[in-house]
Amino acid sequence: MTDRAKFIANVTNSLGRIDVLVPTAPDASTGTAGFDNPDAIKANADRALADAEKRASELTGLMAYSAASAGWNVHRAANPEDAAGLIANICERKNAQSVLRSTHDVLSQIGVDVAVTSTGATIGITEHSGENSSAKVDQSKATAFSADIGITGVDYAIAETGTVVLHPRSGLSRLVSLAPATHIAVLKPGDVLDSLDELFALERNDFLNGELAGSLNLISGPSKTADIEGTTVTGIHGPLEVHLIILE
Amino acid sequence: MKPLTVNFRDKAASTLKDKQIQQSLEHVYTGFFQGRLAAAGDTPDWNELRTKGKAIKDHTIAHLDYYLEQLTDNVEKNGGSVFFAEDAAEARKHIIDLAHKRNIKTVIKSKSMVSEEMGLAEAMNDEGFETIETDLGEYIIQLADETPYHLIAPAVHKSRKDVAKLLDDDFKEGDPVPDATELTMMARKKLRSVFERADMSVTGVNFAVAESGSIALVTNEGNGRMTTTVPRVHVAVMGMEKIVPSIQDLSTMLRILIRSATGQRISTYVTMINEARKSDEEEGPEEFHLVIMNNGRQKLLANPQMRESLNCLRCGACLNACPVYRKIGGHAYGWVYPGPIGSIISPVLTGLKDASNLPNASSLCGACHDACPVKINIPRMLLELRWRTAEGSTGKNERTSSYNERRIWGLWRLGMMGRRRFDFGARIASIVLRPLAKNGWLKKAPPPVSGWTSTRDFPLVASRSLKSRLHKRDRKAKP
Repeated sequence: MTDRAKFIANVTNSLGRIDVLVPTAPDASTGTAGFDNPDAIKANADRALADAEKRASELTGLMAYSAASAGWNVHRAANPEDAAGLIANICERKNAQSVLRSTHDVLSQIGVDVAVTSTGATIGITEHSGENSSAKVDQSKATAFSADIGITGVDYAIAETGTVVLHPRSGLSRLVSLAPATHIAVLKPGDVLDSLDELFALERNDFLNGELAGSLNLISGPSKTADIEGTTVTGIHGPLEVHLIILE
Repeated sequence: MKPLTVNFRDKAASTLKDKQIQQSLEHVYTGFFQGRLAAAGDTPDWNELRTKGKAIKDHTIAHLDYYLEQLTDNVEKNGGSVFFAEDAAEARKHIIDLAHKRNIKTVIKSKSMVSEEMGLAEAMNDEGFETIETDLGEYIIQLADETPYHLIAPAVHKSRKDVAKLLDDDFKEGDPVPDATELTMMARKKLRSVFERADMSVTGVNFAVAESGSIALVTNEGNGRMTTTVPRVHVAVMGMEKIVPSIQDLSTMLRILIRSATGQRISTYVTMINEARKSDEEEGPEEFHLVIMNNGRQKLLANPQMRESLNCLRCGACLNACPVYRKIGGHAYGWVYPGPIGSIISPVLTGLKDASNLPNASSLCGACHDACPVKINIPRMLLELRWRTAEGSTGKNERTSSYNERRIWGLWRLGMMGRRRFDFGARIASIVLRPLAKNGWLKKAPPPVSGWTSTRDFPLVASRSLKSRLHKRDRKAKP
């Protein structure tokens, strides 16, 4: 018997059975969602996206409110030029030397590269080079750790919690939103989902389609801790300062 | 970790006398307890969410074998490996062997109660690996060479001065004490350099999703993200009960877990790891390993009275709600899990005989049951364990009651089982106790009941029972 078989046989016995019992669907209203049928899952995901479009301005307003309570510095930009100006301001104020950004479309749309370089800082893009050696991985880690500011778009945002959702991939490294002391995220109306329910409905649908990302990050404000005398302090391992720019 | 549950009384007594710790413990109430109440009050369907969370966990635990199979298949399908550890020693050995094989030098850990069960950090340090906790509270505890005081606030009992002494080698008695921000920045700097050189990480698991083979991690500090991104080998360790069936279940579970733990709507970071670095990613570990540990949990599973304890999310809400924990602190409980939840799982996982004081460290007020996000009926299980210490099987090394104690209760039962016997017993008691009493109170009784009167007074049994007085009154009242 393998360790696995022995371990699981032990669990089965402890449950008072001889064989593994395949579960049947529990009460749908209170039980696990594990038994929903694929059509319902797809319908849930479609509804989440349709809702994000239809209720875009309402959800963006809610997002601005809950993001601020989660600790984001929320800025509203009436147009791409304003957004670029806000980013340049932050770079100047932080005296940033090196800035790293993702390849989200919204960033090229606002001309982020020009805005950053106009302040004298350098800008790097977290695009995968096609090379997978460990030296290359180390190099990209070092770049992220030495960057002063990381700029990303959002894959989704969640109005319920003030959360920015990012799926790391080529063009969006795991560290760009984590290692630099300042993170700026740019959001467009239509990106905002109502709640965690909608997010995980979409993730589940992606999963059933075989399109689940390697990982998922939910970010709600700056890194923080209250481990010393219960006093909340911002910026222990991740960014000390986070900005959410809402592009109207 | 070696259980020290047997020292309960001494540890509890010394904590009660420690003014500084008593002050620190205030925060458990003002910060966490009230935070949770406010968060629950702000969530209109709070009770329904808890009911749903309980239903999800009940279902999962009732089919734990099935979901363990499914989880394992899916982790392997995603390119990860799964190791099954029957106990802490097997888990430790597996992880240490892996670290040797991969030529690891520095191991970073994010907070994991299961790794505390394993005593992993200590064992890895002894093996020559530099092993560093990254959760700030855990890091402080590691520097102090202590064990966590609280499930989610491990260093809640440490003052700023204590922390300054640990973090700053140059700190001397009499120096101005840095504020929490300065201390946190000191730790940030130290830990940043550790992240840059770490080549292996060990993290816990808040939820493992069976259908997709994913794990979810909840942190505020961001160490959950650092540890799953920076090193080339990622090892996640979990107790075998930490499963949910579906990705969709995470929305319910995250809501109840985080609100119950800190009173936040969501933690700063929730990280879901489905696989190691994909080939088009710039950073991320090369390998993902999942270690699933039993370590006595099957005893909880096999007993229908105790099974519900496996629903626990380790949020700490029952600790914060417990009037006993808030006074005697976390170390008195003598093992990894303090507070009410510790009082029901430590005795089963580490042996009831040594831990027999734990189920008694409760007034059965029910605050833990009310606070639990998955409605675990802790008081019911405390009573079950108390029963076992009184009447349980000696073969299983559970019974701690003395022969005399059982005899006294046997007599008591006999007396309570018939009206005449009761009246007779009360007569005897009132006559026997009278010469020992002062002003109607028995303050000092001879052995074997001296233990009882050493901490409280016993009212004298009345010379005539209520029944006979009423009887007399009724007779008088009759014309």
